[in-house]
Amino acid sequence: MKLKNYDYYLIIMTAVILFAIGLVSLYGITYYNYLAVNPEWTRTNQYSQFIEDMNSYLYPLLVLLLICLGLCIPKRLFEQNILIKFSAMALIFTFILTLELGIETGLGFLLAIMIGLQIIVLILTFKKSKVIRFEKEGYFTRLGSSILHLGLIILIFNFVTLRENPFHISIFWIGMLLVTAGNILSFYPVKMVSLLGNK
Amino acid sequence: MGYSEYLAAREFLINNGQPIIAYILLIALLQGLFAVLYLITKKDDKYTYFKKFIYINTFLYLIGFIFLIWFHVQIYNNVLIEYPSYLKPMIPVDSSHFSIPLWIESEKLYFWAMAASFFLLAIRNKKEIASFTGFIISIFSTIVYFFSNPFKEPLPVVHSEIIRWYSALGQGDGSIYQIAGTLYGRITYYYNSTYMWTHPPMLFIAYASLIITFAACVYMLIRHDGDDDETAYRYARPGYILLTTGMLIGYPWAIEAWKDSSWWWDPKISGSIMMWVLYSAYLHARIYVSRGKLRRTTAVLGIICFVSLVFTYLLTYLVPGIHSVVQP
Repeated sequence: MKLKNYDYYLIIMTAVILFAIGLVSLYGITYYNYLAVNPEWTRTNQYSQFIEDMNSYLYPLLVLLLICLGLCIPKRLFEQNILIKFSAMALIFTFILTLELGIETGLGFLLAIMIGLQIIVLILTFKKSKVIRFEKEGYFTRLGSSILHLGLIILIFNFVTLRENPFHISIFWIGMLLVTAGNILSFYPVKMVSLLGNK
Repeated sequence: MGYSEYLAAREFLINNGQPIIAYILLIALLQGLFAVLYLITKKDDKYTYFKKFIYINTFLYLIGFIFLIWFHVQIYNNVLIEYPSYLKPMIPVDSSHFSIPLWIESEKLYFWAMAASFFLLAIRNKKEIASFTGFIISIFSTIVYFFSNPFKEPLPVVHSEIIRWYSALGQGDGSIYQIAGTLYGRITYYYNSTYMWTHPPMLFIAYASLIITFAACVYMLIRHDGDDDETAYRYARPGYILLTTGMLIGYPWAIEAWKDSSWWWDPKISGSIMMWVLYSAYLHARIYVSRGKLRRTTAVLGIICFVSLVFTYLLTYLVPGIHSVVQP
């Protein structure tokens, strides 16, 4: 598959997965409404079962989304054949960990790899490295995209694996600031150029 | 300073705000009429009138908003909740002021419509999209007048809480323990919360911007003009930034305020996740629009996104949950 088509299908696949998460949310609304016939249901085991069920529907889609990002983020670093091998390895490890220790651990492992990769991408982008390849042109757009992806992965990682951690909220704020800064940089690169006087 | 001053301020708002909202309705109807006339005839004079009505209505919205700000300041200055000393073991403060945000209860739709009017003023050289958006906002203003009029009965929930407090104080029976506990929680974690002052307005301003994205996506499907897609994208950007940040800000707030309640996968939260992933999918798919591909697909996606936005907003009134006003 040509790299151009590969990028195209990757974007379509990501959009489809996001759409699927939307459908899971819609199902959640409908099912919540159905269960809420009993006003006290959130105080019963039904609620924890509902949360467990909803998370179990969401997590596989998150894994798929991360694989898409996993194919998307390192593609900026690796050649396509290395990339596919890398993704397959990550997927196998995630699968083994999921079987052995549960989906949250598997997902946490995948997210930790993504965070590491995205930090490398961000550093290389910041340094204007020629090694790295992007779909979009422009320094600030690329920087913004890297920061945005890093922020999102940190937020998901924090939510999936660090909910009980004392630094959960601090990490959340870091993720949120990265997402917001990444959004602004990638959506308004020209304004950022004029504001910061850089290229 | 006191309860009677608060009641007088409320009366003043009703008496002066009602004419303003009536004029807003009148001008909105004219705005909608001239928007439709322009869309049918494409005559510039119709558009000129339409634009004038937009300016007048935005100004009226602003005047009404200033009245609302004044009323909120009056509540802050005149309503002081002084907890009796015997409540000390359960209430950690001596007194509380209400710092009521300007986007709660019947005021939120007003705020959204006002923000949308301001965004509409910013549209340049896109007469059809501006007219279509103007028509949507005129419907919006009509809904505000009939179903969410902030001047007809200002802040009914806050008002009932204030009345209940003063009445419980007067009676001096045991009910004051429960009323004080609830009121302290509402004031601390809801009305006066920094999150309440940031989370909802960011979302409402985002929604306002995304109305234009919706209108431009509809035109993109009708005309297949790349300019319409660009307009949709231009307004999706601030909308998405505010939507993302605004939604995220709700997370630590939920942890802080609802620590003992069941809030995860609440319908409004599920709806917000759905809306956010759909807008993410829309913007993600747009990466390829610059190559002339996917324009129609993204336009359809943009329309679906807006439907999900309206649906998410309405969830508060349709489905029970921690964000909702309806009970099972």
